[in-house]
Amino acid sequence: MDLVSLFDDVKRMNKRQFLYQLLSFGMIVSSALMIWKGLMVVTGSESPIVVVLSGSMEPAFHRGDLLFLTNYPEEPVRVGEIVVFKVEGRDIPIVHQKNGTIKFLTKGDNNSVDDRGLYAPGQLWLTKRDVVGRARGFLPYVGMVTILMNEYPKFKYAVLACLGFYVLIHRE
Amino acid sequence: MAPKEKDAKDKEEKIVKINKWDGSAVKNAVDDAVKEVLTKKYNYVENFALMDGRLTICGIAVGVAMFALLWDYLYPFPQSRPILIFSVSTYFIMMGILTLYTNYKEKGIFAVCIQKDASKKDNVWEASSYVAKYDDKYNLVLAFIDGKTKQRRETSSKKSVANFVDVNGSVVHDLVEAEVTRLHSSLLSERKTK
Repeated sequence: MDLVSLFDDVKRMNKRQFLYQLLSFGMIVSSALMIWKGLMVVTGSESPIVVVLSGSMEPAFHRGDLLFLTNYPEEPVRVGEIVVFKVEGRDIPIVHQKNGTIKFLTKGDNNSVDDRGLYAPGQLWLTKRDVVGRARGFLPYVGMVTILMNEYPKFKYAVLACLGFYVLIHRE
Repeated sequence: MAPKEKDAKDKEEKIVKINKWDGSAVKNAVDDAVKEVLTKKYNYVENFALMDGRLTICGIAVGVAMFALLWDYLYPFPQSRPILIFSVSTYFIMMGILTLYTNYKEKGIFAVCIQKDASKKDNVWEASSYVAKYDDKYNLVLAFIDGKTKQRRETSSKKSVANFVDVNGSVVHDLVEAEVTRLHSSLLSERKTK
């Protein structure tokens, strides 16, 4: 009975109002998208906010922390910076300069060996292209929601479906 | 017997039931009832220009966002930078325009109706309303814009929504009709005396 009454509002809408409901939903999605793209442009990184997935950077960063990255082309990677490359975040790059191109090697604080096991097969060094960004700031624990949603995809779809449903049905 | 049943069922379908504690739902339901009175009782034709304007602005904003998404997908980040800058700024400018439009041009107007006159000039009736956040007072403003003189006259009524919605949450159409008729007549009679 109650489920049916949710649709009453929609049934009473004419075409224009229904179109407006769809556009409202679209605008919420677009706003999130535009904020993300805007952050990408401002920081220069293709993924300006990342979640720490493993415990290899403890005690500095724990699983579930949120990291803010920047990737300005003018600043070269230096020893001791925390770099996020296209797999996970690591510390202590060992920087080598060879014929004008900088290559580096990373290792997690909490690991005993360097990250060569994580690189692509045959790759011994990272270059600037592999770097997503340098960590500039962090928020603890906030990323746990993302980890939860990635490990239980049904939960993610359920949350998104409920939000979308609510926005479409509820009239402003 | 049969026609009576059908009438009863029709009436039931027409009565709108809403959650009387939800302020915005109540306002929307009463607005709809007012609009129905204007269109059904007086047979005015509804003009959608205001709503269409809002839809256009939103449509452009969403279109720009989708375009940015597609472009970034086809040409990954560093190359798409200029397009992204353009799209993001356009999007937020559109949002600004939308806010200005809603606040200054629309101003709570939910119905614009055209009254066809014998002469070529049409008169325009505008109905707007607002309800303060946790208040129960429904402010209805009915405006009349004369087609010939382009003069604008308006009357307003400020009543509690309890006057229009019964205890079960159904909008009592007759009460709304009575109120609208009262405002409508007062505007028309004002015109005749002037």
